[in-house]
Amino acid sequence: MKTAVVVFPGSNCDRDVQRAVSETLKCSVDMVWHEERDFPSAPDLVILPGGFSYGDYLRSGAMAARSPIIGAVRKHAAEGRLLLGICNGFQVLTETKLLPGALLANTTTTFICRKCHIRVESTDNRFTSGLKKGEVVQYPIAHHEGLYFLPPAELKALEEAGRVVFRYADPETGEAGAEYAPNGSLNGIAGICNEAGNILGLMPHPERATVAHLNGGSDGGAFWLSIADDFAKRGIL
Amino acid sequence: MLFHAEAVITPREGVLDTQGKAVEKTLASLGYKGLNEVRVGRIVTMRLEARDEGEAAEAVKNMCQDLLANDLIETYKISVREAQ
Repeated sequence: MKTAVVVFPGSNCDRDVQRAVSETLKCSVDMVWHEERDFPSAPDLVILPGGFSYGDYLRSGAMAARSPIIGAVRKHAAEGRLLLGICNGFQVLTETKLLPGALLANTTTTFICRKCHIRVESTDNRFTSGLKKGEVVQYPIAHHEGLYFLPPAELKALEEAGRVVFRYADPETGEAGAEYAPNGSLNGIAGICNEAGNILGLMPHPERATVAHLNGGSDGGAFWLSIADDFAKRGIL
Repeated sequence: MLFHAEAVITPREGVLDTQGKAVEKTLASLGYKGLNEVRVGRIVTMRLEARDEGEAAEAVKNMCQDLLANDLIETYKISVREAQ
């Protein structure tokens, strides 16, 4: 299984995600500068990492979404291969329109950096099929623009299609919804996928919850293993 | 010909504008009364070469669609005049 992480100017979770993936899955991870026009070796998984690409100028993810590498990212996803956007990477995915919606400023008006709980809402995609539907996991969040927005009709369609993959939740009761979203996200949405289930965007950081002694918890490990299981089922090792 | 162009980009109706709400709250705390709604957008100004005003406006419109505005959450207005 080959992974590539795209590095934009201002990315700051690129090394974290590289380490999380390489240590959990024991695979090599290519770091690919955004000015490249292709990936060095056809990756099975491409990750757009968190950070502040281009200093969040104009809109979060807007400039990164027009980077030279994005042509290769689009081609990679169109071939049905896995594309994952975490935090700023999710913002880039909405700016490319590979995922619907937009991430707006948190209703708190503040940058929020803390552990949070999210519920697995769907396992019918290439990323979370190894997790349990309804289980609550803890990944940290660190963002200023994390309020997921989509106009009402499209939001309803997204929900009905089962494309909400993660929703902010209460770890005690297991309930999930808007009231548990620290950022005001509509319907408490923390992560969504495309129709084919090979593109996932989420605001929380599984890579910051992979190495337990770094204080982010260790729930993220199962997320990476779930992706590896999906590949294994398809004979990609 | 050289033109001066301006694109004024604002959040769409119905899209939550957290920045606008924060500014409104602060203005109210300064004693400004009767505020109904404050929306915060941005202005992009540029100087560009074009054959005429129409061509300049068309170019700026394409820039708004391609990068400067996100049509899901923002609207824009363009103005163009000959540069001094």
